[in-house]
Order: sequence, then structure tokens, then C-alpha cells
Amino acid sequence: MRKLDAKTLTERLIGVGVLVFAVLAPQIVNGYWLDTIFTQTLLLGIGAASLIFLSAYGGMISLAQTGLMGVAGYALGNMVSQRGLLGESKGLALGWDPTLSLVLAIVITTAAGLLFGAVASRSFGIYFLMLTLTFGVIANLFVGSVTKLGGFSPIAGIDRRTPGFIGDVLNDRQRLYYIALIAAVVAYVAIRYVARTPFGISLQGIRDEPVRMSSLGYTVPLHRMLAFTFAAFLAGVAGVLAAWWDGQISPSSLGLNATIELLVIAVIGGLVRIEGAWLGAFAFIVIENEVTNRIPSEGLPVVGGSFNTVVGLIFLAIVIVSPDGLMGIWERLWGLGRLREPQRPAPTASPAGSES
Amino acid sequence: MPPGPRGNRLSSSCSLKVARRLGTFARLVRERVRSWGVVGAVPRLAAVGLVVFAILYVLFISTPPDEAGGGNWRTTNFGSAVHDPDSFLRVLLDALTFAGLLFIVASGFSLIFGLMRVVNMAHGSFYLLGGYIAYEVQQEMNPEGLGYSLQPFQVNTWEWVLPLLVTVGSIALFGLGVQQLLLRWNQGQDLRQALITIAVSVIVADQVIAHFPRHVVAGSPKFGGNAVSIAWPGWTNRFVDLKLFGIEYSLARFSMLALGVFVGIALWLWLYRTKTGMVIRAGVDDRQMTSALGINIQKVFAIAFIVGAGLAGFGAVVGTSQGNIAQLQDGTWLLYSLVVVIVGGMGSLLGAVAGSLLYGLVFMFSASYLPTIGNDCCTQYSIVFTFALLALVLAFRPQGLFGRAA
Amino acid sequence: MRRFGGRKLRLLVSLGVVAVAIAAMTQASSAAPFQALQVKYAIFTDCKGAFAFGYELDIGGANAALSEFAGARPKNKKKPSAGLIGGTAGGAKLTSVGYACGDDTPATILKEIRRLMVQKDADVMIGPLSGDEAVATANWAKNNPQKTVIIGTAGSQDPTMQIAPKNLLRYHGDGAQWNAGIGEIVYKKWGWRNAAIIMDDYSFGWTSAAGIIADFCAIGGKITKRVFPPLNTTDYSAYVRQLPAPDKVDGYFWVVGGTGTDPAFKAFEQAYGRLKAKQHSGNLFLWFLTGVAVAPRLKDAYIGGFGTGPGLKTAQAAAYEKSMKKWYPDLPATDAFVYNYYNAAHALVEGLKASKGRVGAALQAALPRTLRTGYSVSNGGLVKLDSRRQAIADQYPMQITNIGGKPGVKIAGYVPAVDQTFGGTFSPSKPAPGRNFPPCVKKKLPWQGKIQVVTNGKITNQFVK
Repeated sequence: MRKLDAKTLTERLIGVGVLVFAVLAPQIVNGYWLDTIFTQTLLLGIGAASLIFLSAYGGMISLAQTGLMGVAGYALGNMVSQRGLLGESKGLALGWDPTLSLVLAIVITTAAGLLFGAVASRSFGIYFLMLTLTFGVIANLFVGSVTKLGGFSPIAGIDRRTPGFIGDVLNDRQRLYYIALIAAVVAYVAIRYVARTPFGISLQGIRDEPVRMSSLGYTVPLHRMLAFTFAAFLAGVAGVLAAWWDGQISPSSLGLNATIELLVIAVIGGLVRIEGAWLGAFAFIVIENEVTNRIPSEGLPVVGGSFNTVVGLIFLAIVIVSPDGLMGIWERLWGLGRLREPQRPAPTASPAGSES
Repeated sequence: MPPGPRGNRLSSSCSLKVARRLGTFARLVRERVRSWGVVGAVPRLAAVGLVVFAILYVLFISTPPDEAGGGNWRTTNFGSAVHDPDSFLRVLLDALTFAGLLFIVASGFSLIFGLMRVVNMAHGSFYLLGGYIAYEVQQEMNPEGLGYSLQPFQVNTWEWVLPLLVTVGSIALFGLGVQQLLLRWNQGQDLRQALITIAVSVIVADQVIAHFPRHVVAGSPKFGGNAVSIAWPGWTNRFVDLKLFGIEYSLARFSMLALGVFVGIALWLWLYRTKTGMVIRAGVDDRQMTSALGINIQKVFAIAFIVGAGLAGFGAVVGTSQGNIAQLQDGTWLLYSLVVVIVGGMGSLLGAVAGSLLYGLVFMFSASYLPTIGNDCCTQYSIVFTFALLALVLAFRPQGLFGRAA
Repeated sequence: MRRFGGRKLRLLVSLGVVAVAIAAMTQASSAAPFQALQVKYAIFTDCKGAFAFGYELDIGGANAALSEFAGARPKNKKKPSAGLIGGTAGGAKLTSVGYACGDDTPATILKEIRRLMVQKDADVMIGPLSGDEAVATANWAKNNPQKTVIIGTAGSQDPTMQIAPKNLLRYHGDGAQWNAGIGEIVYKKWGWRNAAIIMDDYSFGWTSAAGIIADFCAIGGKITKRVFPPLNTTDYSAYVRQLPAPDKVDGYFWVVGGTGTDPAFKAFEQAYGRLKAKQHSGNLFLWFLTGVAVAPRLKDAYIGGFGTGPGLKTAQAAAYEKSMKKWYPDLPATDAFVYNYYNAAHALVEGLKASKGRVGAALQAALPRTLRTGYSVSNGGLVKLDSRRQAIADQYPMQITNIGGKPGVKIAGYVPAVDQTFGGTFSPSKPAPGRNFPPCVKKKLPWQGKIQVVTNGKITNQFVK
């Protein structure tokens, strides 16, 4: 067995510690913290992990992940709710079987990811970012204007009709927490696994040297499209969890605000390592909770404005000081004076060939 | 060529030239199609077919609604262009005039990217700030407004031009400040700069909502980002007789188009006929070489950012005169700019023109000429056509119509 | 294993400290130690978005009612959000846990609900402010029967028709009710027989338009064209062109709000020329909120009301306005935001008195089913709640006029006791208002032919002819 160095050992210890704490959390923390902070951390973390997967292993920063999460939520909401039964009145209200709806929602989201990916796969770097942002905004406008699918009013009751194996998440918030925890662990393991498969390795090759990989015979657009599809699948899982957690979905769940929020989470955590997704989500949610409770009603002192200004300033600070976010700080603490595996460099330079 | 009467020889030589050109073109097309292969050709030809069908639908196929209000897939609000050329021409003019406004805003965005590779995500919030500044200036000049938006007859030309100058100037300076403080020291790091401009956009949008509008109706609070607007000068509030199908069209909308054309020509003259413009174009082509030639590239960048931000302010004044300014419009205008430059290609003036025209046409025609089967369909799907436009352009040319090849 | 250097040790120690801190934070419960009977309430309003200006108005209305009926006192008569001192009802101490800062979207209001109603454990919600927020709130209330919601000023129909949870009450009319009478008024006074209607393509637009359409068609008018621009469209020219030309139709109903009223009218003028008087009517947005930009162009236009009666000269109205002036002299008492939040808080106090300070199901049963409000005239000056806890309220269609050289509104008519079913047009089993619903049918509404003319704020015995 390869001798483990201090950093990996520490990380594994911390990881085990976090996992143990997470499993025991319902016994340790109070209900509000469990439900609002921890469960939200887990599901937003899955969404951020899909973004970080694309950026760390694919070199693509995608702003469409929130939109895809919303697509999953909308698909689920439209299929699962039933008109009139418990007062829900918006959307298609198809009233289909919850298990089927769950599967279909994730399938639809993955298909949407495939479609977006096909259109965007030949764009690199900044173009890709712009394009995915446009997709996200178009998804937002779509669900807002196609009133048959709900329009601006929220589709509700999503948490009342869950598949049997999920159970009652509306009243049993602990159950939802454990489901989110399992999903987050599975997502993490899946991403780590995919990164080590031949597909993942060639994806990382494409991230670093797309032209060389192309000349070696790899179909670069196809790889990127498939990576985007996998990320869309993860976003679909996150979206479904979010819909169960909130119980409702409305266009603002996929709006520009939500998109930037997920980006902020990913950047705070660090765009280079998957663990940053959950770290960033936790940091963001805790900050949001504490700050919104303390902002006076007339706005921030001196400058005015609301929590958004605080978020913007924190985001700006992180991008200026440590673009690799919190995980980047962690990396740098271990970095001096020892040999380490070459890590994905910070997103300071676009991959060669991205400029056109 | 056999000798013959002079006239015949000329005409036959002309027709032969045309035929030769057509033949060359046809051969090029054939070669291109063949290069796609069967698998590649099917979706592409399907896409072309859909576009042709859409154009034919608008021009010939659609029918107006009948008295009873029912309809089928052919029923649209106005019927086809052949049936109702009046409405068709009006919608076409609406599209062109809207494209003028799109061009003003998107050209600034495209210029900044083309030269500095900076995707200025804060472009929309520059627009938002500019719109409110214009409102404050016009209200300050016109105290009888009392916080109500003015009507055109209350506003003379100077009361529109001064807000324009103040807005363009202040947004240009603001943009310069952002560039010098936040973007100058990390050139080359595209993604990092994009993230920085996203942060700026969030902060600016929130601050604008917190402090504007300031001229409000008595009793209203001085914040909230409520919708306010400015008025065109009074003389635009009339119709121009087009002498075509008896149409009279709004002079205010023509002003929008005229301003767009003015900005386009001014930009073209600047980029292609002045020394600074030449340097900018050189910088777009090859930044390192230009710098190596001893040109102060930092100064050029600053100028480009000033112009780009100023254009956002210019567009804001026009947009606020035509409609209004309100919170959340920063996101809308960022989207419009993104669509125009993705379609047209980044860093290209011609691309911005092409993108604005295409997007304006898609925008207006999808809102008016989609089928109306009963009341429940279909104009609410018009956003899908924006996506279709993007997908179509990117399928054939990922760098945009006039963008530089990857 | 390498020896841990100083840096690594410090790192681990700081990690440990962080872990302990997190554990400590998560333990902190936010509930105050139990004292004498205490009722925690939260006022839900908007401080961003389309209705941001409603912040101080809403809080002011609610605080004024709590001062008037529960013995509280404003800390700052010029700034309602500064809060209150004191306040007891039914023997329980009224404590505010904070103000929600919504932005007219359901997602944000759910966040605020989690913050104030769950984390801070408020028992009662006074609010929210907007239609879609109220739909989200009603859905949440259905899952949380131990909390009580008294709607502030929301115009959506669903919360008390389709969803109608037992713990949600509304003491004012919805968007359709607000427009009662306007259809009949333009039919009779301006002679409109056919009209086109343009409405925002979302639930409030449909609900508000539904009231106009039902009223206008009931008396025999015909809606020849319905146009649905998406909410917050930037360029209305495409949609305005879908309207028939001014010579092809008697009039236009405008139900475009949000940020769209002014651009929509500008687009209309650019397509068809100056607005002709007596050809334009619509809902409250033509006057209220951003529509004030439009009001100067529409002098003498009849528009739908907002459930309030500005300028109404009755003893009850005078008493209400005097009460508002006593507590917050700078707030406009006739503003619907102030008025509706005032009534909601007033109802809360009455309910607590009847339930002797208990909350939950006891409070929900004890909340009054009739309430004396400033602008009620019928039913002995009382607003009555129907079986789904929705108000049956008097409505006042308005007319834009000049007040002291500035655009203003005055009451044009009085429509007594309008209920949410709108005379049978709506019901839980029928579709919610939408693009095609209600259809344009002629029928008899309870107030048809019974709209009383109001001159100078006095309700006359004449009917609108």
C-alpha cells in the first residue's frame, strides 16, 4: 500500500469525521439547523458539485446548472401534483405516479442537458460560460411565460406525493435529511469514480489540451457533451431534492439570482475540488442566515442595499484574494515545502485554444 | 466565342459571367454539403428546411383568424404578409427599430470583449444605472414632473440631450473606474475577470435598487427600483407617412433606429478611420504583437472600456425613453447583449449589426406571427425561438456569424 | 508519517475550534425562555421588487392598528419600521420577531417564512403583500396548521378559493373583486359595447381581468380580443399591434402592471396616436404604483378600484383616518396597503381577545368573522368572511381626476358586498381565472344595476345609469 502523506491522511480523517457528524447530526443539532442549514447544504452541494465537476475535470464553467435543477423541479411538480385534491391549482397537474414522475423528471433533465450540451460543446472558456448563462435565463423565461407549466405562480404539493421508498418528507424532516445525505455521498463517490474512468481521464486531457487530444483522435465535442449530460443528471438529482425540500417551485428558483448564488457557492468552496461544493454551500448558507437576521430594515449601514451587496462583496473578495476559494486556501496551506501531485491549476488561464 | 453582332456578344458575355458565378457558387455549396456526410447533412438540412418553412409561413401560409375566433395551425393574429402587408410591414419596422436599440447596447459589450477578452457581465447593471441617472437628470430639469414620468410634449430636445450626455459620461467614467480598479491587474485571466464582473453586477444592481429612484411622487420612498421612464422630445411624438400601403409609423421608433445607425456609423468611422481605432483593431487581432510594437496597450484598453460602458449608458437612455427602467432590467439587457453577440460573433461590428437584426426579427415575429389557436396558444412559446436562433447559429458556426474562427 | 510541523498543528487546532463553534451555534435555540403568555407575530412585506415602497406602508398600517386596539405605541411616528413599544391582547404580550423582506417572488417569501416563522418561531403572520407570495404562503400554511396567517394585501384568488387552508384568513377582496362595477360603469356611462382587453400573462393579470370581463360581459358587453403580453415585457409594440385599431372597437381595458404600464401605453400611442379620452379603462395599475406615470394621460378615465374608498365621507371612514393620523401622520391612510394591513392587525387583536391569548387552532376559531373596517358601508359597516375565510367587501370603482393640480382619483361608484365567487362566476370546482376563463357570457350579477353613484365622497341613492 502506498504510504499516505500527511495531507491525504488529514483529509481522510476530516472526511470521516464529517461523515460521522453528518450521520449523527439529528441527535446533535436542533430542528431548524438540521432542516434549513444542513439539508440545504447537502442538496445545494450536489448542484454545486455538478458545476465543480465540469470546471475541475472538464475545464468548463457552466451557469446552466441552476436552470437544470429548476427543470427537474418543474418536471416533477407538473407530473406529480393533482388539481383540486389538496388545493394545488397551478401547472399541468398530471397526477402521475410519484416514482414514475421522479424517474421521468431526472430523465427529462438529463435529456435537456444533452440538448444544451450538444449546442454548447464546441464553445470553450468564456463562450461556454456565456452560453450556459443564456440557457439558464432562457429556461427561467420559459417556465415563466409558458403558463401551462405553471407560470409565475408556484407549483406546490411536490412534497406531499413522494415515491414509496422516499416516504413522507413533508412531516419527517429527518428522513429528508438522510435521503439528501445518502444522495450527496453517492454523488460524491460517483464523481470521484467517473474522474478515474477512461472517460474521465480523457475529459481531463481535453480540459488541458483540447487541440492535442483532438489530433489524437478523441472527439472533443462529444466528450464535453457527455460530461455536460452527466452534470445535468447530478443537477437533476439536486433539483428533485430541492423540490421536495421546498415543497414548491417557481421561476425564481431558476432565475439569475439563483444562478449567481450557485456560482458563488462553487467559487467560495473552490472550483478545483469537489469537496468545495459542500464546503461552499455550508459557508454560504450560514453566512446568509446570520446576515439576513442582522441587516437593519433600512438596509446596510452606510452603503444601503441588502444581503445581495454583502454576497457580491464576499464573492469579489474571494475571487480577488483566492480564486480557488476555501479549498484553494487549504491546498496552499499544505503546498509549501513538499512534493505533491500536480493539481488542476487555478482557473487563471483559459485552456489553450479557447480563444478564437 | 464566335464573333457576332456586338450587342449579342456583350449580352451573351454578361449572361455567361453570371452563369459562371452561379455555377461556382453551386459547386461550393455542393462540396460543403458533401463534406457533412449523410449523418451531418440530415440535421443541418432539416434546420435549413425549418427556417425556410418559418419564412414561408409568415409570408404566405398563415391565415387571419375568422369571426368565430377558432383556428388551426395556420391561424395567426394578422394572417400572412400577402394577405395583410400593412401589419407585416409594421411588425418588420418594429423589428428593425428594436434592432437599433439592441445594437447600441450590444456593440459596447462586443467591443469590450473583442479587444480585452473581458466578458463584462456587469453590462446590464451599467444599463440599469444609466437609465436611472437619465431619469434623475430629466426630472431635475423638469420640476413640474413632480415625480411622475413626463410626457413628450413637456420635454424639449435639450431636456433629452442633456440627460443623454450626463448618462453616457457618468457611465463611461464608472466603467473606467471598474476597469482600472478590478480588471487591469489580472489581464489574460478571462474566467477570473468574468467572475469579477459578475460580482460587480450583483453589487451595482443591489445598490441601484437601494438608492433609486430619487425623484418620486410626494409620499413615496426614495428607493426600491420602481419603474420610471423618461420622455422623448416632443417633436418625435408624431407619425411619419410612409406612403406605402398607407402606413404611418411612429417617428419616435424611427429615432431609435436612427440613433442605432448613428452609433454604428460613428463606431465604424472610429474603428476604421482613426488611429486609435486602428490600434484597437490591431489589438483585437494580436494583443501581444501590438504591445510589443511599443503601443501603450493599457491606454487603448481604457479607451475601449470607456466607449463600451458609454454605449451601455447610451442604450439605457434610448431604452428608458422608449419603455422604462426598473429593477430586474439589468438581467434582461444582459441576456439581450449575450444573445446578440453569441449570434453575431464577438468583437465584430458587423457581427453586432447582424446579431441585432436577427434577434430583433425573431423577437418581434415570434411574438406576433405564432399561431393563435384559441386563446391558449402559442405566443407564450416565443422564448423558444430565441433558443432556436442560438442553437441554429451555433450548429453551423460556433463562433457566431462574423466571429473569428476558433 | 511526517512529523506534524507547527503550521499543520495550528491548522488542525483551528479546524477543531471551527468544529466546536459550529456545534455550539447549532445548539443555540432561538426561542426565548417561557414567560407570561406571549404571542409572536411577524409582518410580511416587500422591501425589494415591484412593491418595495410598500414596506413602511404595510408595517405602518399594522402597527397603527396594534396601537389603536392593543395599547401599543410607535417608537417613531415617522418611521413605522422602528417598531412598537408594548401591546397586549387577550392577556398575551404581543412581540414582533421581525419584518420579512420579500421581493414579490415565491422563493424569497419561503426563505423569509423559514427565517421568521420557523427559526424565530412566530405564531402569526400578518401578510404577505403580493399575489404569488400569498399562493406560496397558502401552500405552506396548509402544511403548518399550528401557525396562523392573516393576509396583508394579496390579490390572488387561489389562497382562499382553491387552496383555502383553515388557518388562512383574508379581510379584503381579491383582484377580481376589486374590479367589480367597472365593466358596468363603462358600459353605461361611456356606451362601450365591445372592447379589447390586454392583460399580463400571469395569475394576477388573469384574476384582475376576470373581474372586469365578468362584469362587462354580464351586462351585455362583448370582449372582442384578449391579448397576453408576458409579464415585464420590454417592448410592447408587438402586443399592442394585436389589439384592434381604435376605430374598430369602443374601448380598451388595460390590466398591465408590474413595470409594464408605462411602456405599454407608450407603445399604444406610438402605434395608434394620442390616447382618446373615454376609450381607455383598466384596473388599479392605471393609477396606482407605477401607473402614476400614466394617470396624467387618462384624465376622467374610470378604472377599477383597490378595495379602498379615498375621499369617502362616512363616520367610519373618518374614524379610521383619524386613527391613522394619530399614530403615523405621514402615512396615506387611504392607501390600500396601509388599510389592509391595519384591518389584518385589527382582526388579530380581536381574535386574541376572544381566544384569551391562545394561538394555534384556538386563535383560528376565534378570529372574527365580521370586522368593522373604515371603508365598509353595507352590512352595517362590517366586512364579512365567507365559508372559506375570504372577505365579502364593498368595492369602489374610481375615476382619475385632478386634485390640486396633480393627478388623483376619486370614487365613482359604490358596489355593495362583492363576494369572491363574483356572483357565481368562480368556484373551487371551476377553473381558476386564466387566459380563457371566465368566458364572455351575459348573466345577472347581484350588484348589476345596483351600483350607487358617489359624488364628492357621498354615496347617493342614485344608481349608475
